[in-house]
Amino acid sequence: MSESTALFDLTLSDEQRMNQDTMRRFASAELREQAREADEAGAMPGDFCQRSMELGLALMPIPEALGGAGVPRSPVSNVLNAEDLAHGDMGLALAALTPLAVVNTILDYGTEAQQEALLPRFCGEEFYPATIAFKEPRATFNPGKLETTARREGDGFVLNGRKTLVPLGVEAQLLLVIAELEGEGPAAFIVEGEVAGLERSASRNMGLRTVQVADLSFDNVALPASALLGDGTINLQRFIDLSRLGLCALGVGVSRAVLEYVTEYVNEREAFGEPISHRQSVAFMVADIAIELDAMRLMVWQAASRAERGEDFHKDAVMAQRFCADKAMEIGTNGVQLLGGHGFCREHPVEMWYRNLRAIAILDGVATV
Amino acid sequence: MKVLVAVKRVVDYNVKVRAKADGSDVDLNNVKMAINPFCEIAVEEAVRLKEAGVATEVVAVSIGDKSCQEQIRTALALGADRGIQVETEGSVEPLVVAKLLKGVVEKEQPQLVILGKQSIDGDNNQTGQMLGALTGMAQGTFASEVAVDGDKVNVTREIDGGLQTVGLNLPAIVTTDLRLNEPRYASLPNIMKAKKKPLDVFTPADLGVEVTSHLTTLKVEPPAERQAGIKVESVADLVDKLKNEAKVI
Repeated sequence: MSESTALFDLTLSDEQRMNQDTMRRFASAELREQAREADEAGAMPGDFCQRSMELGLALMPIPEALGGAGVPRSPVSNVLNAEDLAHGDMGLALAALTPLAVVNTILDYGTEAQQEALLPRFCGEEFYPATIAFKEPRATFNPGKLETTARREGDGFVLNGRKTLVPLGVEAQLLLVIAELEGEGPAAFIVEGEVAGLERSASRNMGLRTVQVADLSFDNVALPASALLGDGTINLQRFIDLSRLGLCALGVGVSRAVLEYVTEYVNEREAFGEPISHRQSVAFMVADIAIELDAMRLMVWQAASRAERGEDFHKDAVMAQRFCADKAMEIGTNGVQLLGGHGFCREHPVEMWYRNLRAIAILDGVATV
Repeated sequence: MKVLVAVKRVVDYNVKVRAKADGSDVDLNNVKMAINPFCEIAVEEAVRLKEAGVATEVVAVSIGDKSCQEQIRTALALGADRGIQVETEGSVEPLVVAKLLKGVVEKEQPQLVILGKQSIDGDNNQTGQMLGALTGMAQGTFASEVAVDGDKVNVTREIDGGLQTVGLNLPAIVTTDLRLNEPRYASLPNIMKAKKKPLDVFTPADLGVEVTSHLTTLKVEPPAERQAGIKVESVADLVDKLKNEAKVI
């Protein structure tokens, strides 16, 4: 937030406002416009990732010496960006933000040598597809108890297990795999795309159809010693919390899209000779969306602000995630409800937003801010 | 070659403007402001000239109160090298803008001045032409293509019924039409870099110009609401209505 001396000030800085302008224009022209067709096709528009390079998202926190912009990492700016991109389309927003999540995690934990080796890959002319594999495909998935394991063998490691809901998982040339290092705890491993023993398959999902989400399996994948990110320890809780904030912000963006769409609809749609917004049952529902949306956003900003200041933000992130996941789903379904039969049709985007908003409660370990 | 680009702060083109209740002006309260789209095209063209190695420096100038620095920063984020604000208060009519720009032109001595053909608030379409008259520089208005060739610039103009290409001796003035280019997005790293680029502030007195006004806005009112149309049953009906109700045939 701005460098105000006020006790409590939510005014955006000049730069944040300019970022917002860029994000909103990009989201409207490059995400919203393409979203329906990409959703129907179940694939990203071919040049989308390359177009997203124009924003320079991943470049921001990379040190200038490595080709980046060297701007101090800002979770607050990142949640603002995530909201505005998701207002265009949540799947494509995730595609644009995933390399940034990888960069952020490498900056958090990578050694100097790893940063020097990996980060320049994000600073070229071409989009560099990279992702984080965290979530595992089982009903009892517990982030604190990963079943993808790495064991030390010789100088290196052998990786085994399965991951799911990995954005850009099919095309990623670099993967950060979060796994349990046997006997030592959770760690992140740098896995190059062409490694032997890695299998990828595109998964077909209810929502997020505009970004290629993949299931990955690791069958005795041999990794060199240098694959272990940093000194081998990763603050799993902080990693999850930072990704929760990104996800929540995506939910805020989609929910804002719903609010704007239904507000216009209920004021135009007439029944019994007047706009349906004149019915209290309709007006109250729209008002609730507006109130809850503000609450969601403020909780995300509060948590992100604490993260940016280096304060403990675990409780704030958990509360934000719980609230945003619940309310995002409610707003999604109410968006469909408010349009009545039209809400169910694919001519209107609310059914697509409803399907995407279901993901807020399900994804984890992506969109790290 | 130095290129001077003028940028104006206007109501964002996505905003549905409203007249003030007393009809004195457009209501600007809590309205999102942005760089005039035609000016943005002008900045993009200048930056492309620089990227092509034709221009060596791009200077963005805006006229207005302190808030217009935001639009200068946007131009800097899009690739301009430095900014100039000429500080004025209230609305300034095209002739005064042209006089102030003439002052800036004399100070900066650019080879090329690129302006939007008009701003989307006043829709006057006068400033570029007035600047041409005041400075005596050649002008190419409504440009859809600009090609610098040695000490000349060829400007393809969008005119009624087709295109016209004029060759101008430099220094020259170009005003942009919509199809000249598609402006880029200000990338996040460039927005941060823009903060560090120089921005000078001048007063009209510094430029030897007195701000006077020859224009008074009498009234601002919204356009009449359109009436719903009707469907006619037959061609005969249509002809009848065109003849007797609309009285157009």
